[in-house]
Amino acid sequence: MNVYLQELKMYRKSLITWTIALVVLVVLILSMFPAIAKDAQLLNKLLSAFPEGIQKALGLTTLDLSTVLGFYSFVFIYVLLVGSIQAMNLGTSILSAEVRERTADFLLVKPINRSRIITYKLLAALTNIAITNVVYILAAKLMMDIVKKAPYDTKAFFLVTFTLLFLQLYFIAFGIAVSVFFKKIRTVLPISLAAVFGFYIIYLLNQTLHDAKLSYVTPFAYFEPAYIVSNVQYDVTYVAVAVGFFTVFTIVSYGIYTKKDIPAI
Amino acid sequence: MHIIEINQLTKYYGKSRGIVDVSFNVEEGEIFGFIGPNGAGKSTTIRTLLALIYPTSGSAKIFGKDCIQYGPEIRREIGYLPSEVFYYDNMKVLDVLKYSASFYNKDCKERLYELADIMDLDLNRKVNDLSYGNKKKVGIVQGLLHSPKLIILDEPTSGLDPLMQQKFFDLIHEENKKGATILFSSHILNEVQKLCHRVAIIKEGKIIKVEDIETLKQSNYKKFRIDMTDTITDTYFDVEGVTNLSIHDQHVTFLFSGDINVIISQLSQKRLKNLIVEEPTLDEIFMHYYVKEA
Amino acid sequence: MNIVLRELRANMKALIIWCVMQVFLIYVGMLKYAGMAEAGNSVNDLLAGLPEIFKTMFGLSTFDLTHVGGYYGVFFLYFILLGSIHAVMLGAVIISKEERDKTADFLLTKPVSRVRIITSKLVAALINIVAFNLTTLIASIIIVDMYNQGQSITGDIIKLMIALFIIQLIFLSVGVGTAVMTRNTKKATSVSTAVLLITFILSMAIDMYSKIENLKYLTPFKYFEARQLMFGGQFEAVFIVLSALIVIVLVTVTYIFYKKRDMQV
Repeated sequence: MNVYLQELKMYRKSLITWTIALVVLVVLILSMFPAIAKDAQLLNKLLSAFPEGIQKALGLTTLDLSTVLGFYSFVFIYVLLVGSIQAMNLGTSILSAEVRERTADFLLVKPINRSRIITYKLLAALTNIAITNVVYILAAKLMMDIVKKAPYDTKAFFLVTFTLLFLQLYFIAFGIAVSVFFKKIRTVLPISLAAVFGFYIIYLLNQTLHDAKLSYVTPFAYFEPAYIVSNVQYDVTYVAVAVGFFTVFTIVSYGIYTKKDIPAI
Repeated sequence: MHIIEINQLTKYYGKSRGIVDVSFNVEEGEIFGFIGPNGAGKSTTIRTLLALIYPTSGSAKIFGKDCIQYGPEIRREIGYLPSEVFYYDNMKVLDVLKYSASFYNKDCKERLYELADIMDLDLNRKVNDLSYGNKKKVGIVQGLLHSPKLIILDEPTSGLDPLMQQKFFDLIHEENKKGATILFSSHILNEVQKLCHRVAIIKEGKIIKVEDIETLKQSNYKKFRIDMTDTITDTYFDVEGVTNLSIHDQHVTFLFSGDINVIISQLSQKRLKNLIVEEPTLDEIFMHYYVKEA
Repeated sequence: MNIVLRELRANMKALIIWCVMQVFLIYVGMLKYAGMAEAGNSVNDLLAGLPEIFKTMFGLSTFDLTHVGGYYGVFFLYFILLGSIHAVMLGAVIISKEERDKTADFLLTKPVSRVRIITSKLVAALINIVAFNLTTLIASIIIVDMYNQGQSITGDIIKLMIALFIIQLIFLSVGVGTAVMTRNTKKATSVSTAVLLITFILSMAIDMYSKIENLKYLTPFKYFEARQLMFGGQFEAVFIVLSALIVIVLVTVTYIFYKKRDMQV
């Protein structure tokens, strides 16, 4: 319990910063909605003239940008991007910090086993993510209600928004798994940025390619907002893949960290 | 009961040698010195005992329990002071110490303040504002505040001024009198000589010797210091039992082990200005071991 | 010279990883081109009728994907994203790492001036981003050529790489500039990441919302765009000047601040 509380304390500042960043981001983006909605109506007219096959091929059909939910889902990728960096950073740093800050010789000689340490640290990371999500959801919902012109499907809104949490869970687990492979990580951010943007670019690339296999590689493709909005549910296959990866990453982390040599200072 | 029982412990870092076949025991209530030059494997041995690293082969027991398998349980009764101390930068000294105390299921508060008082430590400063020596003090308090049964010290005195060193040694003595066993690693023989009951000497990853401090000192080595009237040739002291010979003009020193009459009769053939025969210091014996084994 | 070599060696592994990532990205992307090229031209005709902002919104649709040049143009966004992350992290870390690794006392007590140290580090960083750029260039020319059945687009590729290089330079100087203005590596990487994310998301917002187009001077991601540079387009003088100004100012700041810096232990 003490490790958990200590971790919460140490990441308090970063938690506040990232949460504010996400809130500011969603407020700014949604405040653009009224201006864009007008243009979007024009687009809808144009698009409706297209044959449905082509609309589908372009991936334009399912998100109606003239509705607040459609617009929100369309720009949600930037929220995911920022949220993923937060999570990846937290995951990569939380275990490796002890070696980086040269405190491993302090913590690991205490009467506590290593799986306990991972568990507490994982819980602390999850708590951080949970707090971020609660604040974010409140801000996003509030902002949606301010800028909306017509009622929207609240369930679909929550389904889209919850994907932030899922993606963050994925990146926490991925970050921890990555960190246990390194002997010592001196600076965390280059690693987290490379990982998140690497996945993001694969996702962007795949929007052009529409390759099913490639879509399993990048978590950004697991919860496609267009699919969620039109079906008001998640794609079960991808949920299973996400859960699978999360489980594997977590097991690997426990397995390796409990057997790892801690380098001398 | 053996407090520490090390059995053919071996650790390789990839291909490079850490320690090879290290075996020795530390008995309850003793202050055990662990001595060797830098890179000999002292820290590797200690870090394995603490399960910070895992042995390549062999095993070690603390309190009769395997130190890897029962790590957490064993560490309840261990206090550890690393050679270099680093703590969570943005915390106050008191917070670090309280955090440390929170791992042990006992009330360490009183002892915490007592120790801080002895070591003259300001509890309200931030850890990152502390000097090296002051961080070291945090380390000492942190390692002792739960009154451990086994105290492991890895080159603990570097960075402490002589006054603090003395206070620290007094503290260790006191803990020892209260029943704590102490494993004390160092490359400074003088402090080991002052403090320890027994000593293990390690070199290039292997234990060369485990011996009582008294036996070491009372080994039949004598140190000869002689001022001659004439210069002599290098070969003059080429006698069985003479080691560490050094000749500077008329000034000669060497260690001698063997029949004292042999060396005396050799000396009696020359005119001497001065002759001193004394007990060698541990340093000199130690150097002797190292030279002999090399 | 010794410092340059030391830095080159220190960054070698990271550079290789980045370059491999680039080559892999180009290869996977072009692999799919063959399939795309067959998809026909009808989509392009229809797209031509759409308003400009919606084309940019969907990124891909601005280009004629059946033409190898149009297809390759999509990659430019990924290149500048990866190139800027690489450059900004490199810049931030290369300056601040002496203090992070506690080697500042070692290096700065040698008979070298601080100006010399900075110059050496900048040269090493420059060599790194040039290597990144050249790898991208050569991989692009070779891999594109493998799939190109029409006219050669090597001229366009070179033009894009020049633009990429300018953006790399800007972000490298952002990195070193933040490093001298912050206390440690962690702060330096955090602040430069914030700059990167904000400018990137701003560039996306500008794409979506034409009324804030004038903010484009604030984000290097809008200085050079593939569809303006390719097919006979030109660099805009104002952005070249602006880029040069940013680089010169930040590098000067780096020298001045580093000369006056109190080294942390």
